[in-house]
Amino acid sequence: MSALSEFWSAAVIWRDPLVASVLAGALLGFLGVYVVLRRVVFVSAALTQLSTLGVIASLLVLEAFDLETDHQEIQLVVAWIFSVGGGLVLGTLGLGRRLPTEAGVGMAYVLAGALVILGANRLVHVAHDLNTMVFGNAVAVPFQDVVILLVVTGVVALLHTLFRKEIVFSSFDRETAEAMGVKVRLWGGVLFFTIGLAIPVAAHVVGALPVFAFLTVPAAAALLATRRLEPAFAVATGLGAVAAGGGYVASWVLQVPTGATMVVVAGALVLPAWLWKRLQS
Amino acid sequence: MPPLVRLEDASIGYVGRALLHGVSVAVEPEDFLAVVGPNGGGKTTLLRTLLGVLPPLEGRRVAEGRLRIGYVPQRDHVDALWPLGCGDVVVMGRVPLVGPRGRIGADDVEVARRALARVGLGDLWGRSFGTLSGGQRQRTLIARALAAEPRLLALDEPTNGMDPSAELAAMDLLRDLHRAGGIAVVMISHRLEAVANYARRLAFVDKDQDLWRIGPLEEMLRPEALSHLYGREVIVREEDGRRFVYPVAGGERP
Repeated sequence: MSALSEFWSAAVIWRDPLVASVLAGALLGFLGVYVVLRRVVFVSAALTQLSTLGVIASLLVLEAFDLETDHQEIQLVVAWIFSVGGGLVLGTLGLGRRLPTEAGVGMAYVLAGALVILGANRLVHVAHDLNTMVFGNAVAVPFQDVVILLVVTGVVALLHTLFRKEIVFSSFDRETAEAMGVKVRLWGGVLFFTIGLAIPVAAHVVGALPVFAFLTVPAAAALLATRRLEPAFAVATGLGAVAAGGGYVASWVLQVPTGATMVVVAGALVLPAWLWKRLQS
Repeated sequence: MPPLVRLEDASIGYVGRALLHGVSVAVEPEDFLAVVGPNGGGKTTLLRTLLGVLPPLEGRRVAEGRLRIGYVPQRDHVDALWPLGCGDVVVMGRVPLVGPRGRIGADDVEVARRALARVGLGDLWGRSFGTLSGGQRQRTLIARALAAEPRLLALDEPTNGMDPSAELAAMDLLRDLHRAGGIAVVMISHRLEAVANYARRLAFVDKDQDLWRIGPLEEMLRPEALSHLYGREVIVREEDGRRFVYPVAGGERP
């Protein structure tokens, strides 16, 4: 039996993981347009790291109280607190004239990374849980995770549909929006709340590296291939879904690591976008 | 008529760092006020305080209820990377009016189209903002401010980086909008020459000298006052009905 026919015959195993991966890719692809256009690509990397730190912190607390560490819902909630809190702080950060905002983002990234390593060092016996949260386990995603991802996607879609014009205006030209009475901190907060909400649940499904990739690469490809914002959102959402789904299938068929394959597929999508741009110009 | 907005004996600046003290200014409905001063002299901070973005550190700001403000930033402060059409940018001017609960409708698009036509770019509605020339971008940003149907139009260095011809065209446009639309204009500029033929009132700002002075244009354009502001001799000359203002080479004053 060929690898592909083996894949089809195992549909019961991969259905939920594939759906979850495609949802995560689409969600992050959409949000990535804002991440790229607002030039805060490394905020998403720092938030992914903070989300992982949240998981570590929850495991350490559970262990300190001699509780079962296999409470993924608690891990997810703490990861959300870290990620959303970090998003609200880093996304609206202004360090004044002495330091650029990137300095704060960089510090958050390396400090969270260092604390993850230190925390993980004390959690050797739960390395499996940790590995799942940090690197994802798209091969075995429970249906519960698909539901959580659907709910998060729904919340993000609702907020971005209701307040699209405010989020776009305050992201595109913060100075003017503020001067004309738009509450730029509020709408920046809504944007980074949704990014912070999406990262932990997506990282739980596909892992940290693909999360960073999906927040950057599909949007970059879409912005190369399109000339307007609406098509850019649509194309980035589609490319995120294709990269996640295609990467998942390719990793199964080729028997290679899932997260890395998703990232490579996402990267490969930039080439046709670039060629399309060249042809159009 | 009561002023649209006024600052009363205000200290302006950022928390813990006052830049100017004793600033009193009232912007009338028919005003055309130009705020000039050296780079980094506190002009933008003053404008932000006047618009209500920054609270005064002392004194107070009083504004007409629900004052409609149109704001034009420096054109290179606006990110041309965004894949937006001219029309998309101009429609943003309607966002503060529509509010979070409302949606941009056909009426709003029509107002935005008229605003773009008013600045002479009606045929560029579908063009990418990023592909426009500097002057066209500036006009598009003015159209966005007009789309808000403002009573007060505030501009931050609107002619910065423009060649003389584009600068003249932009200032003529502002004068026409001011006259025809009954819109109060407050603009800041470090180029005195750009405003000397258009403003009705002039204000000097320089935080290094803790200088705040405001008055009618003719009174403020006296060479002695300008020389004090710029720290060098300044000549004001009138030719064919236009004023020319320029510093004297080597004319530094102690």
